[in-house]
Amino acid sequence: MVYIPLIFVVIIIVVTVGLGIWATKSSRSASDFFVAGRSVNVFWNASAISGEYLSAASFMGIAGMLMKNGYDALWYPVGYATGYLFLLLFIAGPLRRFGAYTIPDFAEGRFDSPLFRRIAVTFVLFIGFFYTMPQMKGAGVTMSSILNWPYWVGIIVVGTVITFNVALGGMKGITIVQAFQYWAKLFGIAVPCFILMAVYGGYHSKLGDNTEKPKDIPRLSKETPLVFKGKKDTPANTISLSSAEPTTITFPKGAVIDKISAVRKAERGEAKISPSAFSNKLPATIPAEGIVLAAGTVLTLTPAPVTKEDEAVIGSDGKPVFTGAKIEFKEPLSADTKIEGVLPAKTLVPNAQSNKKWVEPFGTLTSKYNYPLLYTYSLIIALVCGTAGLPHILVRFYTNPDGRSAKRTTMLVMVLLGCFYVFTPMWGVLGRSLLPALYANNATDSVVIRLPKALDNAMLGYILSGITSAGAFAAFMSTFSGLLVSMSGALAHDIYGRILRPQSSPESRLLAFKIAAIVFGVVAMLLGLLVESFDINMMVGWAFAIAAASYFPLLLLGSWWRGLTVYGAAAGMLGGGLLSLTAIVTSMLLDKKILGWTLSPLVRSLMEQPAIWGVPLALTIMYVVSKATANHIPKDVHIKMLRLHAPEEMGVSKDYIEH
Amino acid sequence: MSAKGSELHSLSEEQHARLAHLVMKRQASLSLRVALIFVILVFGLPLFNYYLPELANTNIMGFSATWLFLGVLFFPITWVLSAYFIKQSDKIESECADWREVLGVEAGEPIVDDPNSDIHPAFIESDREDSN
Repeated sequence: MVYIPLIFVVIIIVVTVGLGIWATKSSRSASDFFVAGRSVNVFWNASAISGEYLSAASFMGIAGMLMKNGYDALWYPVGYATGYLFLLLFIAGPLRRFGAYTIPDFAEGRFDSPLFRRIAVTFVLFIGFFYTMPQMKGAGVTMSSILNWPYWVGIIVVGTVITFNVALGGMKGITIVQAFQYWAKLFGIAVPCFILMAVYGGYHSKLGDNTEKPKDIPRLSKETPLVFKGKKDTPANTISLSSAEPTTITFPKGAVIDKISAVRKAERGEAKISPSAFSNKLPATIPAEGIVLAAGTVLTLTPAPVTKEDEAVIGSDGKPVFTGAKIEFKEPLSADTKIEGVLPAKTLVPNAQSNKKWVEPFGTLTSKYNYPLLYTYSLIIALVCGTAGLPHILVRFYTNPDGRSAKRTTMLVMVLLGCFYVFTPMWGVLGRSLLPALYANNATDSVVIRLPKALDNAMLGYILSGITSAGAFAAFMSTFSGLLVSMSGALAHDIYGRILRPQSSPESRLLAFKIAAIVFGVVAMLLGLLVESFDINMMVGWAFAIAAASYFPLLLLGSWWRGLTVYGAAAGMLGGGLLSLTAIVTSMLLDKKILGWTLSPLVRSLMEQPAIWGVPLALTIMYVVSKATANHIPKDVHIKMLRLHAPEEMGVSKDYIEH
Repeated sequence: MSAKGSELHSLSEEQHARLAHLVMKRQASLSLRVALIFVILVFGLPLFNYYLPELANTNIMGFSATWLFLGVLFFPITWVLSAYFIKQSDKIESECADWREVLGVEAGEPIVDDPNSDIHPAFIESDREDSN
């Protein structure tokens, strides 16, 4: 029975390969390869764009984040789906009308600058690789959670299948596959969700449990074995215990504790709480090698009273304030064991917030640095502007026959994405109520794969888990294939065809495309193997932050402001994109405790979510530098503007490459 | 290249500028109007949550009001906005389809200059794929 999910995954892979080969038969010309012959109709194109867009982060990550963070995480599905409105209002029509193949084509065509093409190509590859790594990681992790196979298996399978498809059929070969995969993903997220709700109760009733008992925290329904992560997975090596009741953990194989501190952030003047306050089995200070717990240790950790100048701190409800213990583990005792623990039934689930904090706005995610509004706004800007600046999505707009159908496609994409994303919060809500053990494991990301297996009917559970697993694989494969097309296109069309060998024939460019697809496919697999300990959402967040502060300003001003010069565009794109990237990478190094700086919470918040300054910064640089270099405005800028905006009937638009 | 298009190239730079300005102006104001509604909704909600938390967390059939709005209703609202935009945008485009009307030039009126002498360079390098 454990093989049932595998069967579903094999089916989706076989269908992917089969459809790819079938579509390839009609894919011959260069234009087929790069932009699917520009003849994809609105329905197929919208399905394909949606299929490409819904990645590992959307299929698994959002449900997990919602389960972990509650209301605050709702901004993710909303931002991902409604970002297309900005794309529709400002970018979709003009970009298609301009008739370029790729973003670098737009960059060069709009400013007559081959140098700018090179900068733009670099960004395509950069964003592409950032976005590829989480797809690969998702494939590896999902395959290993289905059958306990090693991490690399999923990566090799997805990498090989998609590289084969792309090298064989190019853009046309993947369009129909991605369109199919959208529907597979919608099925995979919706059907199991309906069945789970039919068995356990609907969206509103599960959410209502949270709104009605604001002070409660979920409890484990039965004795639960857990696997804790080691120090290399910081901050996921942490469990935060309840402040309301003692928690008993049994360590059958022993463990090493790196640090024990209070969950509550100490306010000014409050005494530091020593480990021995939580349990008399623990020392007052932690020795350098950590606290070593022998195999079979049973540790009961009692909430400790918070004191200030030797007097108990009294909370707003008139009762003394207690805090639970926060444990951070070191690596397992030996490389081939895991840190295992057992929690008895009825335990208040570690790492879970109270219902009120979870269900109401400004919970742990946005209030992390005590600037909840600032964090929320920055997150919204990153998601909305980032969506409008993702190169592998934008390249798809060139597959529309004209500007008008590009707009219709965008609208249909918003409908398709909305239908998908409305389900992701339901998974988070169901997961909180039915499988709270995932909190303690820091494994909320796998809720869509694991939740169905919690059904009492094991057979049905495995089938539903198979459906969600197949949906997840559809997500990795469709997004990766889109990325591979956009990166191979950038190399074959922009670097080889425009920069290295402008005289090359369409046939040799086609060959270059195929070689590029294979090379990038292999590179992507190797990168995927390296990022096992990275967080999926975090890596996608990087891609969005860079896209929001580089391509979005370029496309917005490039389409609407005739005063933009190549110097302004390049300076703004590089300045905004690189500074945002630096901020976000530094922030990650601080989280992982690789850097030990102490920064004010305001600065930390602005670094973790840079869009609120990154996007305006890029726009400002573009404006100021363009004004200073106004003599470099292209001479035929008015014609370029007409080409971007005039309806096709006027006869100004033209395509870079004819059929 | 269509006959209409080649005549269009023979316009003076000033006329091109004016045409571009006229074509873009109405589209831009439409886009900005729709964007404004979206921005008010999406940026207003956090303020509403922050300053009127009790109203935001009113229980509606198990949902809190703000969850129902953001997690469920927000998607169809953006669909309505985009449908409105596309309808209006198509209307503008069909009204702008003929550049003579946009510029207010009578159809059939002779076009300035000799059409053959003043073809704009951007249209001569018509197919970069071949010419490069």
